[in-house]
Amino acid sequence: MAKENKKQIDSSLRQFIKDVGYITGGGALLSSVPWLQSFTPDKLGEIKKEKARIALIGTGSRGQYHIHNLLEIGHAEIVALCDNYAPNLKEAHALYPKAKTYTDYKKLLASKDIDGVIIATPLNWHAPMVLDALAAGKHVFCEKSMALTMDECKAIYDAYQTTDKVLYFCMQRMFDEKYVKGIQMIHSGLIGDVVGARCHWFRNHNWRRPVPSPELERQINWRLYWESSAGLMTELASHQLEVCNWATKRVPRSVMGMGDIVFWKDGREVYDSVNLIYHYDNDVKITYESLISNRFNGMEDQILGHKGTMDLAKGIYYYEQEAPGTGIEQLLNQIGNKVFTSVPIAGPSWRPETRKAYESHHVMDGKFNINEGISMIGAEKDGSDHILSAFCQACITGEKAKNIVEEAYSATMLCLLGNQAMAEQRKIDFPDEYKIPYIKF
Amino acid sequence: MTSFSSHYYDTSSTFHGFIPRIMGTRLDLIIVDYPKEQSEFVWNNIVLELERLHKMMNRFDPTSELSRINLKAKIDSVSVSQEMWEILLNCKHYYSITNKLFDITLYNLSEVIFDEKTKSISFPSKEYNFDLGGYAKGYAVEKIKRMLLEVNVKHALVNFGDSSIAALGHHPFGDCWSVSIENPFSKGDILKEIKLRNEDLSTSGNSPIHQRHIFNPITKIFNDQQKVVCVKSKSSIDAEVLTTTLMLATPKQKEQIHSNFKIYETITFNL
Repeated sequence: MAKENKKQIDSSLRQFIKDVGYITGGGALLSSVPWLQSFTPDKLGEIKKEKARIALIGTGSRGQYHIHNLLEIGHAEIVALCDNYAPNLKEAHALYPKAKTYTDYKKLLASKDIDGVIIATPLNWHAPMVLDALAAGKHVFCEKSMALTMDECKAIYDAYQTTDKVLYFCMQRMFDEKYVKGIQMIHSGLIGDVVGARCHWFRNHNWRRPVPSPELERQINWRLYWESSAGLMTELASHQLEVCNWATKRVPRSVMGMGDIVFWKDGREVYDSVNLIYHYDNDVKITYESLISNRFNGMEDQILGHKGTMDLAKGIYYYEQEAPGTGIEQLLNQIGNKVFTSVPIAGPSWRPETRKAYESHHVMDGKFNINEGISMIGAEKDGSDHILSAFCQACITGEKAKNIVEEAYSATMLCLLGNQAMAEQRKIDFPDEYKIPYIKF
Repeated sequence: MTSFSSHYYDTSSTFHGFIPRIMGTRLDLIIVDYPKEQSEFVWNNIVLELERLHKMMNRFDPTSELSRINLKAKIDSVSVSQEMWEILLNCKHYYSITNKLFDITLYNLSEVIFDEKTKSISFPSKEYNFDLGGYAKGYAVEKIKRMLLEVNVKHALVNFGDSSIAALGHHPFGDCWSVSIENPFSKGDILKEIKLRNEDLSTSGNSPIHQRHIFNPITKIFNDQQKVVCVKSKSSIDAEVLTTTLMLATPKQKEQIHSNFKIYETITFNL
């Protein structure tokens, strides 16, 4: 059974890249998703018999989610697990008893039997662990966001410039097929000029986890405290801001916003409600909103164009003005050219009757997964499996992926600048000292 | 205000009118060998007529006559316009000749009270609603055909959301209008070419994205079969009603239903 699963995930990734390549064509593929160029079906074939030796640091819910995915990746082998919280380590070990266990990540990094490490720890641990792992000669896959502070982000970015090791951040939308295709469509001009972006993430959950003993509150509920978390921005918004930058091929220069604790007044420090506006140099704005005491609006990543709207989270786009069908265009061309052949215009109604003024078009055929944004751990088939598989492949080939670090850096910086803008209640410009060559305002 | 556009191709004397959204779908009209001004004139009248029908039969518009009926007939008897009365009686007729498979209540049309004297309707319970989704396009296409024939248009093609097509006369360089049916489960795969000349074609079926949108009012189960049903007929309404019905009918029901209709061709594709 396990063997079958491995085959499935490998072929799924191959199919995904093949599909994207088919849709976009070589040049366009590189321009919209340059990080995929190392993962062509041919290159996957080359590493068929090799396995990346992977260690996991941080075995909480997200870490265990990665274990489940790793167990289905044929070119990966879990060799070590590390956590300083015994119950999580025990649970993770039960999932894969063959792995060696550690309680000190530095000891794990000293092992020569590890090719790459996955870091799924609280945000404040990202920077020290990423830097230590790179220094120890390991390839690194770290959960988003990049780090807790701007200085830490810059330190990681700088370290990456001098290492020959692979570094990934889990910006899984970059490997989610519906996002890849949707962004490619945006870049091809489908929705016209990008004139705005609206992203939101709504939940109705206190974001708390049960604490067996009061002294563990800050360790377990690390997301709620500034010393270990940057709140909704780094936990949720980072994905969405990255998508906006990917779509616009720019990074906003300034941000203003307001953040509050509206409902969950339970001793937490981070906001449970944020509203921000990010401003690009071409005057396009991102309106961002997140609230965790009402889930009605769900999660959406909308890129607005003057000809249409791309709702990337749902894999749907809408036209401002519907165009005639291609069959009718064919018929008109035929008549103009004095040609008579059959035209493909008949079929089941092209869309069902609905109350909506705008009609939806899907970026992909057939069924695909949509992340409702409710789970705190991760959604099924949201790209996390593909990006992890790509990382494991890179652990074998040593080939760095283009732009992943830069995209993660830019998005995380925007999150942290957003928090600063909300804390100081003023407009904040992207600081010169944190600009990197990749960033175009 | 309905958004619409039109263009006249002088070199081929071809008119194309397009409404991106009307009655829940889109409409294309092609008229050939007919003068520009008259084409535009009849097109404008068609747009107005469709707006009127949309306003009357749109169940999603709370101000439409249909919505008014759906709201009030649950509580009391509600009188309806002459045209709506005729439409509802016609739907009732189709209900009886389709073995109750064409049911605009999706529940049990035979329980709805039609008062001939006052031309009023009342529903037996709150669960009832009228949904003319499986009828309205056919009705509208009939209206369009009549308007075109009244002004002596000889050759035209009406495409109402791909599923309702009416052909008047023929293609300027052929002896008919030839349309292909694409397999909704396999893009680019043509199931059949159908030649139309003064005939209408209606198509129903499921697609990968909309797999369950045809409801069986008798079994109360959505149809999820991978199939497409096409009906060629002189009447758009017959064709429209039949395609939906034949998606649901058992082989025995099909035989009975067929005998009640004058249709030229029925094709079922099991995909």
